[in-house]
Amino acid sequence: MIINGVIIDDTFAEAFPMRATRIIITAINYKWARHAAETMTGFATSVIGCNVEAGIERIIGNHETPDGRPGISVLLFATDRKTLEQQLQKRIGQCVLTCPTTAVFAGLEGEGQIALGKNLRYFGDGYQTSKKIGDKRYWRIPVMDGEFLCEETTGYQTAIGGGNLLVLARHISQALLACEAAIDAISLLPNIIMPFPGGGVRSGSKVGSKYKFLNASTNHPYCPTLKGEPDNVLGKNIEAAMEIVIDGLTKEDVALAMNRGIEAICDLGKSQGIERITGGNYGGKLGPHHFHLREIMHESYNRYI
Amino acid sequence: MSHTTVTYKGSTQARLDMRWLSDAAQRAEGNRDIANREIMAGNEKTAIGELFDIRGSFTDDEIVLENSNSKMDYIGHALAAGSTITVKGNCGHYAGAELTGGTLKVEGNVSDFAGCAMRAGLIEVSGDGGHYAGSAYAGAKKGMAGGTILIHGNSGDFTGDLMRRGTIMVVGNIGDYCGSRMIAGTIANLGTIGKQVGVGMRRGTLLLPHKPKDVISGFHDCGRHSLGYLTLLLHELRRPKSLFQSLHPMRRRVQRYMGDSAVGGQGEMLIWIG
Repeated sequence: MIINGVIIDDTFAEAFPMRATRIIITAINYKWARHAAETMTGFATSVIGCNVEAGIERIIGNHETPDGRPGISVLLFATDRKTLEQQLQKRIGQCVLTCPTTAVFAGLEGEGQIALGKNLRYFGDGYQTSKKIGDKRYWRIPVMDGEFLCEETTGYQTAIGGGNLLVLARHISQALLACEAAIDAISLLPNIIMPFPGGGVRSGSKVGSKYKFLNASTNHPYCPTLKGEPDNVLGKNIEAAMEIVIDGLTKEDVALAMNRGIEAICDLGKSQGIERITGGNYGGKLGPHHFHLREIMHESYNRYI
Repeated sequence: MSHTTVTYKGSTQARLDMRWLSDAAQRAEGNRDIANREIMAGNEKTAIGELFDIRGSFTDDEIVLENSNSKMDYIGHALAAGSTITVKGNCGHYAGAELTGGTLKVEGNVSDFAGCAMRAGLIEVSGDGGHYAGSAYAGAKKGMAGGTILIHGNSGDFTGDLMRRGTIMVVGNIGDYCGSRMIAGTIANLGTIGKQVGVGMRRGTLLLPHKPKDVISGFHDCGRHSLGYLTLLLHELRRPKSLFQSLHPMRRRVQRYMGDSAVGGQGEMLIWIG
């Protein structure tokens, strides 16, 4: 499959099941909501080293948030419910509770509930008060700028982590340009985050290592400086490969994000130095969810031709 | 929507125990069985069929009680979710007591102890409420534990006494001792309020448009604040059709009093500003 001169490899991107939750952070204005959201999603690029993958999903208008203030929705992904809950507690406690004027609310109904303000309330040292409004319980914790308002629990659900695509280009600046175009297109979609810095990854990893203490190591078949190695897959013209990792609430969300990302890259085309698009295929060792690039791009391909 | 109509045809001045109405609604009993059942009318047993004319079957979700009066106690007692009783007339004591999720609509007034010990559901009164709305049974330690009481008229004394959870909304005025011994929950009104507001209050919220004439000494002024949770609360208060819908959901600037410190309470009395 070739779209606008860009080869779409006949392969699949491997992804794995995760548990995800969504929270909504509101504040007096977007500036402070963003401060809280960016802080709590910091150091949350990969479950390998951070236990959780987190990112800003979208900005939410005043009319959509529970308390009528500007808000930002954040998605968090972890390998199991317990880790997700622990990470959520720590990050809310250290990054949102501390941020001036913020409040935090559940953003997902989900399959089950995990604690949000349920344990944070003890920070109130006995001055905390709960308020049950409708079916939901909220905690009001006195803080130095008034009250920190926090919903007691939020929902979580089974989700998909590690959806990905790799861009192979003639030059690093072209690979970066393609990534930025894809990331901009994917960012418009709901239920999706790209947890790595700016959405792109230059240190894509493969499963396992020659060192026993490492369960992931550099994806050497895609390293351009190792093109002389027999198992390197980069062609002669390719000087840089870049990965975009996508976590989504459902398989459909990830597939749609991959489609929009590949479309944006193909719009640039071979004339912009984009040679190939491939997926992180680890021979089934990484996870049970396989996103076949050509299936994902089937309808788009028909439109292009 | 089809409904069962129960019309009072008696003229007795004795008090009637109306718990049978909720029983019939929940068991979906046949009319003949119901008509033959006996209830207490004063200190005498009388067949329901002699006092009430029943049209329709109790399998319907809604029951309309017509020609009711303030001698009929326990209307809507323990009514479960999914059932609705509409009362065209007044209710006696304990209307909607122990309600567990059903809806009681009263197109008239209710007497004392409306919503006593209720746990969920809605009581809507187009007229006035009596004393002890949403309170506990005499001697019990906890009052209503959930649900909403909406009174479009005025409410009497001891509104929300020992209230544990839920919301009482009074469009008109509230009598003395509002929120006395309150454990939690919310009482809001749009009119005036009597004396000794929140006496013995431990937790919970009193949301008032005007400062009471005498704030008891156990309440301490905590200053003026914009409380974020009030937006959420106002969305909830604006849900049923009432004058509370005139409150803007972003109106959250209040003067906050905390008490009653006589009992170590941390309840709050919030007075709207502006």
